[in-house]
Amino acid sequence: MSPEMTSSVAQQGAADTARRSSAEIALSVEQASYAYSASARQAPTFTLEATSFHARQREIIAILGPNASGKSTLLQLVAGTLAPLSGRVQLDGFEISRLDTRTRAQRVAMVQQESPLIFPVRAWEYVLQGRHPYGRTLRFETDEDCGIAMNALAQVGAEHLRDRWMDKISGGEKQRVILARALAQQPLLMLLDEPTLHLDIGAQVDLLERLRHLAEENRYIVAVVTHELNLAAEFADRVVLLHRGKCLRVGSAAEVYQQELLEQVFEAPLAVEQTASGRPRVVVRGKNTQ
Amino acid sequence: MLRRLRSIAIGSAGLAAVVGALLCATPLAAQSSAAPLETTDETGRHVAIPQPVRRIVSLAPSITETLYALGAQDRLVGVTDYSDYPSEAKQKPNIGGSINPNLEQLVALKPDLVVATRALNRRETVDALARLGFAVYATDERTVEGVLVSTERLADVIGAHERGAELVAGLRQRLAELKRTLEGRAPRRVLFVVWHDPLISIGRETFLADALRWAGAESVVNSSQDWPRLSLEEVVRLQPEYLVFADSHAEQGALNFEALRERPGWRNLDAVRAKRIAIISDAVNRPCPRLVDAIEQLARQLHPEAFADKQAAPAECASCAR
Amino acid sequence: MRPVTLRRVLWTCSALAAVLLVVVVLALKLGAVPISVTDLALSLGRVAIGRSDQLPSEYSVIVFGLRWPRILLGILVGAALSVAGTGFQALLRNPLADPYVLGVSSGAALGAIISLIASPQFPLVTPLAAFLGAALTIAAVYLLGQREGQLDSGTLLLAGIISASFLSAVIMFLMTTLAGRDLRGMAFWLMGDLSTPLPAGLRWILLAGLLGAVAAIYTTAADLNLLIAGEREALHLGVDVTRVKLVVYISASVLTGLAVSVSGAIGYVGLLVPHVMRLLFGSDHRLLIPTAALGGAIAVVLADTLARTIVAPTELPVGAMTAMAGAPFFIYLLRRRLP
Repeated sequence: MSPEMTSSVAQQGAADTARRSSAEIALSVEQASYAYSASARQAPTFTLEATSFHARQREIIAILGPNASGKSTLLQLVAGTLAPLSGRVQLDGFEISRLDTRTRAQRVAMVQQESPLIFPVRAWEYVLQGRHPYGRTLRFETDEDCGIAMNALAQVGAEHLRDRWMDKISGGEKQRVILARALAQQPLLMLLDEPTLHLDIGAQVDLLERLRHLAEENRYIVAVVTHELNLAAEFADRVVLLHRGKCLRVGSAAEVYQQELLEQVFEAPLAVEQTASGRPRVVVRGKNTQ
Repeated sequence: MLRRLRSIAIGSAGLAAVVGALLCATPLAAQSSAAPLETTDETGRHVAIPQPVRRIVSLAPSITETLYALGAQDRLVGVTDYSDYPSEAKQKPNIGGSINPNLEQLVALKPDLVVATRALNRRETVDALARLGFAVYATDERTVEGVLVSTERLADVIGAHERGAELVAGLRQRLAELKRTLEGRAPRRVLFVVWHDPLISIGRETFLADALRWAGAESVVNSSQDWPRLSLEEVVRLQPEYLVFADSHAEQGALNFEALRERPGWRNLDAVRAKRIAIISDAVNRPCPRLVDAIEQLARQLHPEAFADKQAAPAECASCAR
Repeated sequence: MRPVTLRRVLWTCSALAAVLLVVVVLALKLGAVPISVTDLALSLGRVAIGRSDQLPSEYSVIVFGLRWPRILLGILVGAALSVAGTGFQALLRNPLADPYVLGVSSGAALGAIISLIASPQFPLVTPLAAFLGAALTIAAVYLLGQREGQLDSGTLLLAGIISASFLSAVIMFLMTTLAGRDLRGMAFWLMGDLSTPLPAGLRWILLAGLLGAVAAIYTTAADLNLLIAGEREALHLGVDVTRVKLVVYISASVLTGLAVSVSGAIGYVGLLVPHVMRLLFGSDHRLLIPTAALGGAIAVVLADTLARTIVAPTELPVGAMTAMAGAPFFIYLLRRRLP
């Protein structure tokens, strides 16, 4: 790579790091709402009512709720792919949905269920795609890009997977590689959409622990959409509880996990237990217990 | 990196130079001893024909026949498929089909003149040859008279003027005679069957339709397409008086007809039931001198009473080459 | 870890260009009229040094007047169709996409035929009409291939096949009812025909269009790598999905329209060549697009050479050769998952 390109990438990286380590960058969602309708003339078939919450660096926010509660919509609002009908969704003072695609991709990374690949790629290629927002129109990856990609793989403990084909590795391994790609984007904000969906419990725990560690080390703001009550309780600093398009409560897990509230939202007999660590645990209430 | 780019650039430049030179291809230089004959062919194209015409390539079977009739067969160096009359024509070098002749082989034959016909050949073939510097003369015969005129003009072009004039004069005489014989007789309404399944007949603007008129017949099909496809119901509605088939072998034609009689739909035709069919030589399909033979043959079959007092038809056309 | 670099692209393309050169020389030598290697070498040499008037004239005409224009046309058409196929496969996220299978070639052919019927005196209008036919067809197929708002692979293929059949039927209808004497050759042309030399203006339009469209698609090459994983994901990775789709859609339609307008419907090139190149060089579009272009040129020149030598003096249509190789390959792809 030519020296000029390397230095400009380095400069950009330096600027990002500087911003990161300086004063607080925050995700700020204020009264953000949205509505879907099948067509312009019909009434909205789904609404997300005004929702507010904040997140700081190194924090993990869980967006919690049953299906069709508006979690995905809220996530897309935070990701900037949808613009809020009212209210604001800002990252570091910038309205996320108004950023151009490239800049947004440098600041916000999304980890979601991947579509099936029609032309398979190797893990390192996949992770390298995370560097795309930093290149010019016709670009070839620099050595620095490769370094960042390898580093990302290392951070998720998937270095050994780098030459493997993406469609030949296990679900948990794949999820780690997807996470690595998000890391390679060097974002400020990391979003995860039901990351534990197809993973066994060991992989789930592994993923979330890494996430916690990465958030801490790289100073990410992390928002995770999930319906896994206990994992959210265990790993999230704050929980946003959604129910049918309405944000019912925002707070720590201990504050949000109230039995009546949870039973109403999830429509199941539940009981909340306290554990030694101070984080609540939700269990299904059998017929015998109360 | 830079060094590699440089060597690649030099290589590409060299390649481009060769390619550029190749792009300026030179067409065939005409090798003629005298000034070329400037004329316009029957499709309106201007042609410069080198003189004398020593080597001719024919792109259609009808052209081949005509050239033999004009006595130019020694100068004929290439023909296309189905050039089977007269039978010696089959010995001539074949360059492929009329629609798609092999241009390479044609070029290798080094013709002075290529003769095409609008009815059978493609415009693209003619244009391609012209672009390569060959003289291409295209005929366009739409009527029987047109066939005669075309033969005369072709004779002029290849330098066989007397032979052409003689041939055409004889044919005109026969046609005039035929006209006299058929004077006053109502033309028969006929269906000319090009193919029976699917049923294809001829359009009103073809030379075949004109040939029918000369033979005292009128095609019941009135279509602007050259080879209209008909449904059998349509034909039943039209109820032609006669069915006309063209076949190279009369006996084979008769056998085919027997097979056809049994088929549904065909049975409903009066002409089939009454066995009013005429089988004529397939010379009728080609716009060449032998067409007149076929016309006479048809006239005899459709109006036998008109020829009752005449002598029997000559077995072969006296003025056609063997 | 070996990402694609500019160097690798240049080297691979140089190697393929060398193969193309060999194929071209072979195609110049082979044909219905035998020309020996020495004669060919001498002819080429004389032309290169400018002494073309010393050539035995019939060789000159055959090699430079007949074979060379076909080869050149084959190179341009092959490159155009392959890159169009690569573009469609990425755009529609379907490995079976190809201008012919998607019916786009038929749409372009219909456009060309309509323009030839309507205004035969303006041959330069034909590529424009063909482009319009191609663009409208791919738009229709794209819309028809949606299911619940998302592009669905199976539905797309179905939409393409139906479009191809429908358009072919319309073409047949036009040809049987409106067929004047000069449209007889149309049936032959429809099967793919490289033998018709181009009018000079058209040649330059073809070249300019080819270079422009390929360049346009190439600027989206890095984006396409991401786009084939899914539009949502590409969007999150900073790809301007709308712009990329538009550029590829227009460019691929231009390429298909140009190719079909000058040489008829040559099928399966856009399907075969990108896949072979993927197998050889990987799926990265920054390498795939130029290799597909060169590979397509090689494939069509080879197919054309075969078509005019296998049963000489009869010339088979080039489209028949590509279909004979392409259709079984298509079936093979259908039946197995790609590696």
